[in-house]
Amino acid sequence: MSSSSNPTYDTKDHSWAFITLRLWLGTRTFLAGLEKFSEKITIQQPLLDANGTPDSSGAVVEVSKKVYGISHYHGIPEALKTKFLDEPLLPQFLTAPFYASLGYILVVLGAMLLLGLFTRLSLVLTGVLYTMLMLGLLLIHQEDGVAWLAIHAGLIAYALTLAKHNRFSITR
Amino acid sequence: MNSNDTSSSSKRMGRRSFITTAATASAALAFARPAKLLGATISPSEVLNVALVGIGAQGRVLLEDTLKIPGVRFVALCDIWDYNRQYGEKYLKKYGYTVKSYRDYEEMLAQEKDIQAVIVATPDFLHAPISIAAMKAGKDVYCEKMMSNTIEGAKSMVRSMNETGRLLQIGHQRRSNPRYLVAKNRLLGEANLLGKITTANGQWNRAVSEDLGWPNKAAIPKATLAKYGYDDMHQFRNWRWFKKFGGGPLSDLGAHQIDIFNWFFGGPPISVTADGGNDYYSKHEWFDNAMVVYKYNTPQGVARAFYQVQTTTSAGGYFEQFMGVEGTLKMSENPKYTAVYREAYARDWEPWIRRNFLKAQAAPVYEASSDAVVDARETAALAAFDIPVILNKPAHQPHLENFFNSIRGKAKLNCPADEAFNSEIAIFKACEAVMTGKKIEITAEDLKI
Repeated sequence: MSSSSNPTYDTKDHSWAFITLRLWLGTRTFLAGLEKFSEKITIQQPLLDANGTPDSSGAVVEVSKKVYGISHYHGIPEALKTKFLDEPLLPQFLTAPFYASLGYILVVLGAMLLLGLFTRLSLVLTGVLYTMLMLGLLLIHQEDGVAWLAIHAGLIAYALTLAKHNRFSITR
Repeated sequence: MNSNDTSSSSKRMGRRSFITTAATASAALAFARPAKLLGATISPSEVLNVALVGIGAQGRVLLEDTLKIPGVRFVALCDIWDYNRQYGEKYLKKYGYTVKSYRDYEEMLAQEKDIQAVIVATPDFLHAPISIAAMKAGKDVYCEKMMSNTIEGAKSMVRSMNETGRLLQIGHQRRSNPRYLVAKNRLLGEANLLGKITTANGQWNRAVSEDLGWPNKAAIPKATLAKYGYDDMHQFRNWRWFKKFGGGPLSDLGAHQIDIFNWFFGGPPISVTADGGNDYYSKHEWFDNAMVVYKYNTPQGVARAFYQVQTTTSAGGYFEQFMGVEGTLKMSENPKYTAVYREAYARDWEPWIRRNFLKAQAAPVYEASSDAVVDARETAALAAFDIPVILNKPAHQPHLENFFNSIRGKAKLNCPADEAFNSEIAIFKACEAVMTGKKIEITAEDLKI
């Protein structure tokens, strides 16, 4: 049954439902990409006394700090990379460019979803990307990760069915 | 600035000619970069001329660490063993120093008028005569611990320090270690994390080792050995095990932890009981294993400290641990043995984590589960924390820096001889308790200099 044939089934509700999905998927994808540019680093700084001045002992403390930047980019965790090295279906000439571009692609797709830029295309590309991620996890038998991505795929599929109700977007 | 820069800087400012091809490049660098100390530039007048007496294992550690300190220039070395002197000369030459080398410290003190500081790292029985002679000659002295192998020897050093007005720093290097300073002043002092401290324990356990040997060609002539009190090369190389030269394991190893007991508790113990013996080595004069119990009167009340030194097992390593009603502090020069534990009922330590006094450990030391509880009366697992303070230089360097800065009038000695004497007496009395099997009281008379 289509919404147009049933006036009681308000298309506004579809629009809000879609916007909710778009925001969720956009935020999720954008932050997943952004986190690939983050790193926990240890910095050394003087130990301060109660007045905020350096301790008289000259003590230096190591403090962990999360930082963002291009130089901190890591496509996927090293442990996963090592596991994928043993997979014959994941040749390095394919995985290397994938690792190098994954974070950038996630950030761009996430931003497109949040802004409503080529929304259908963004959803389809996000679905393809999550399917590619699922492929890697499937090969190394990380079933939890596969299930987690399946939820994302379901949300994307549902969003596509509601895409015609898209509002608050740069492009339709 | 690295040690190369230091040496070449010293060379430029010195009277002697230090021109060597190896040092030329670094000398040029030194012209461009003045020596820095604690953020302040060291003027040429603040550069200190230093002599090292005793170039054995510990002397070499101090030599290497001193070379890392800007504004210090080695001008003389002294050791009765040619083999050690040659090592020292060659080592210093690599850093651009050509030093005068002596077999006899009295001759060195008579000849080297421009020395300001003397580092003493000889066997313990020579600490007092050398340090006293140096102070009487107007030098400030950094002397390795123990101060002496006799109580009278240690007292004579304190008396000489007071009479001459010279500085006498004793080599309890933990007293200048920022990790220990923060633990004492911040964790125990300002934050009072442990509450009332009732107990301490500590140990230094070391694996079995063979007696030290020597290259046959490098043996010291009998007459020279006899002049300094040794019967033979074996005694010279293994002086730590002979009562007329050293104080045994409680003195060699235990001095470090027992000094921390005294420092953290604010004074010497009031009594000691102990046991020990020659359980493994048959030819050593000193016992190889000992267990000691001290009683302290602290401002918080009575506290007891257990100490063990084993030279027949390395189990557990070396540490000092203070146990209070609210938590436990385990300290060691080795950060991997260091941790702070909070009792389950104690107040929240979050404010001190925010101040970077503490850092929560990544994982609990002990995960309580129904299977793991073996006794219904077992106390809940303690939360474990790290001390995030780091020491990014060799362990002895801060203590040497404190000594040199004190000579320049920019600091106060962290371990002057009169304070170190409290540890000397605690150790001598523990040795006496082992040998007599009796409880020994430490009285005001014992502490009188």
